[in-house]
Amino acid sequence: MRKIISLSLFIGLLLLAAACSKGESTNGEQAQTPVKELSFLFNFASQTIDPHLDYTPLRAGVVETLVKLGEDLQIQPWLAEEWSSADGQHWTFKIREQVTFQNGKALDAEAVKQSLERAMEQNPGVKQVLKIKQMEASGQSLQITTVQPFPQFPSELVHPNTAIMDVSAPEPDKKPIGTGPFQVASFTSGSSLKLDRYDKYWDGAAKLSQAAFSFNEDANARLSALMAGDADIVYRPPVESMEMIKGDASLHLDSVVSLKTHELIFNTRHGDFQNSYVRKAFDALVNREELKDVIMGGQATVASGPFLPEFSFVPDYEPKETGLDAARKWFQQAGYEVKQGKVSKDGQPLSFKLVTYASRAEFPLLAQVLQSQAKELGITITIAQVDKYEDYLLDKDDWDLGTYSPSIAPRGDASYFLNVAFKPDGPLNFGTINDSELNAWIDELDQTVDMNERHALIKQALTRINEQMYYSYLVHPNTLVVYREKVKNWVTSKSEYYMLTNVLDVEEK
Amino acid sequence: MSIVWKRGVELVLFLLLLSLVSFVFVKLAPGDAVKQMLRLDDVAVTSSEIEQQREALGLNKPVLVQYGNWLARLAQLDLGNSYMTNRPVSEELLGKMPATLLLTGSSLLILLLIAVPLGALSALYPNRVIDYASRLLAVLGTSIPSFWLGLLLIEGLSVKAGLFPSMGMGTPSHLVLPALTLGLTMSAVYVRLIRSSLLDSLSQDFIQGARARGIGSGKILLRHAFRHALTPVVTMFGVSIGSLLGGTVVIEVLFAYPGMGKFIVDAIQSRDYPVIQGYMVVMGAAVTLIHLLVDGANHVLNPEMRLKGEKR
Repeated sequence: MRKIISLSLFIGLLLLAAACSKGESTNGEQAQTPVKELSFLFNFASQTIDPHLDYTPLRAGVVETLVKLGEDLQIQPWLAEEWSSADGQHWTFKIREQVTFQNGKALDAEAVKQSLERAMEQNPGVKQVLKIKQMEASGQSLQITTVQPFPQFPSELVHPNTAIMDVSAPEPDKKPIGTGPFQVASFTSGSSLKLDRYDKYWDGAAKLSQAAFSFNEDANARLSALMAGDADIVYRPPVESMEMIKGDASLHLDSVVSLKTHELIFNTRHGDFQNSYVRKAFDALVNREELKDVIMGGQATVASGPFLPEFSFVPDYEPKETGLDAARKWFQQAGYEVKQGKVSKDGQPLSFKLVTYASRAEFPLLAQVLQSQAKELGITITIAQVDKYEDYLLDKDDWDLGTYSPSIAPRGDASYFLNVAFKPDGPLNFGTINDSELNAWIDELDQTVDMNERHALIKQALTRINEQMYYSYLVHPNTLVVYREKVKNWVTSKSEYYMLTNVLDVEEK
Repeated sequence: MSIVWKRGVELVLFLLLLSLVSFVFVKLAPGDAVKQMLRLDDVAVTSSEIEQQREALGLNKPVLVQYGNWLARLAQLDLGNSYMTNRPVSEELLGKMPATLLLTGSSLLILLLIAVPLGALSALYPNRVIDYASRLLAVLGTSIPSFWLGLLLIEGLSVKAGLFPSMGMGTPSHLVLPALTLGLTMSAVYVRLIRSSLLDSLSQDFIQGARARGIGSGKILLRHAFRHALTPVVTMFGVSIGSLLGGTVVIEVLFAYPGMGKFIVDAIQSRDYPVIQGYMVVMGAAVTLIHLLVDGANHVLNPEMRLKGEKR
């Protein structure tokens, strides 16, 4: 028995020693560091903080881009004060003056040029995004020529991997040097990024003196970290804990509509889904309000089309009739037989395969609801959850319907989405849509500089997409963020690009 | 010396086979590194541009040609660069290794601290309170999922008691909860193993003989019984080290612990082929070496095994 007691004591001592070491560390830090520090917990881990490969340095306020996406979804000047182009191919950017990198070097057009060149060299995706042919720097003026007329070029500079850094930084993957309000103190890949305030930040030094940008991919563990005091702001807490969060006066919950849209995809390679009325019938089968309120716990906004209504180019959509009767009506228009409420084609019942994926918990549930709705019409839907979802949709042809949630306007311009989702060689054109009229409008949009003309073209394309029901747009999911009451000036950005800012603050202890 | 040479050749052949099989399987799995590299979820590229990138990386060549190229680089000790971070794979793996070794070592220490005394007491006092308690603990330990135990420990020792940080790494206290989770879960197996092995050992003729020679019970336990009982434990220990080194993914995710397990899962998800291949080779070599050490330890511990080896 004595041995048991000894063993218990030993383990107890081990735990105590570890606890003490934590206490010492915390006390030590408290003694050395100023009061205003904040811990932010994000949901994806970064293995590198090279700004040209990873989004974290921009999110953490270490680097900045030439142009940023405002909360009004309009692009705004950032490191570039202004820009202009007469033909959409030859651009002049005026780089902001009085901006310095965190090593004290002044930001000029040459530094921006070198940074963009490095970004294109390091990241083939950025090279594709920017389509830059040539750059010339002179003082604060940067001349850029794109390989073709590219009217949406400034909005592409919103991309986090185009962020500007000092290319002479010796370890850009561990300690990039940018122009943001925070400089890197240390980085542990896959775990956390420690930040110190950059006192000479051009837009006013940050209110926080230190911040930690940590990663944890498990939603419950993130919430536990908040409750244990290890985090002040937690990105995407578990949805099922919302009531508990709302009931805690020391916590604040933000729920902000995102730039993603949940959609139903139709495989237009298959005969049934080449018929727009069949697509409309399936669109009518989804009860968007139910999806939003019941399946997504109210954390979404019903979608009328792919883009949020805040975008000025969104057309006025007619309200859609939903339900079984509306679906029957569309099937009848498609030439299908409807007898005693059941739908058939050439006397045969219909059967389809719906594919989905598990990482968005609402999709398997939505698939089941759709399956039961279709059953009411005598239609059999088999559901399959697949891995490597995008590759499956593009490479396989054994599916009829699918669910997806693309980023609709990651940089505020519509041409990205129209190109990837509707052009025949678009990498996200899962339904193999090939509408010659629509293709021509997208091509014209890609060449059009005048903003009013661009908006008119986008409106025209969106109206066509809605009429043809190439995709059924369901809801815009919300982004959830929970933070302690002591946190001040936090803004949940729709784009999910901007997180730690110079105005973010904590109340003094 | 000939045994060392023979084992060395075996190791190289095994690693070659392992690397070939893993290379082929990874290539056959669905998914495309190029699409990940181009970050298709927010970059507008055409199918032909994707194909160009694939060609630039040599991913359009036959799998065996790709394997041959990889092998040629490996012969120059070059594991290539990660597609996701552009850093050398060897640097990436070496960077993650200390964290994983630290977690593995701490977990094994906790395992030993719990399993050895409990297993021994259970064997020395069979069907007594301590035996029932340790058996109950063993059953609980094997039936509780480590992920759930981790969440319980976070809730109890971090959220409620505020003793340890719930995630991350940096100070020794960061190590306590993940190491406890792994150590507690694995110790359950060892408590039972040590108990049964020691009981078996105590019933052996040489123990009876030692008792007849008047050797004290403490000496019998430590010098003879334990030594004999350790053979299966050490063998199992080798397996555990291997599985800990590579398979602590769930715990690493839960505690946001930046080790190799989590890193390789990320690499697999993004089809980061150079990282996956490098990991397979490094881990294959590490696990094989551990097994060689276990064999060696067993030879030292078990004279019977040594004699058998000599007869051969």
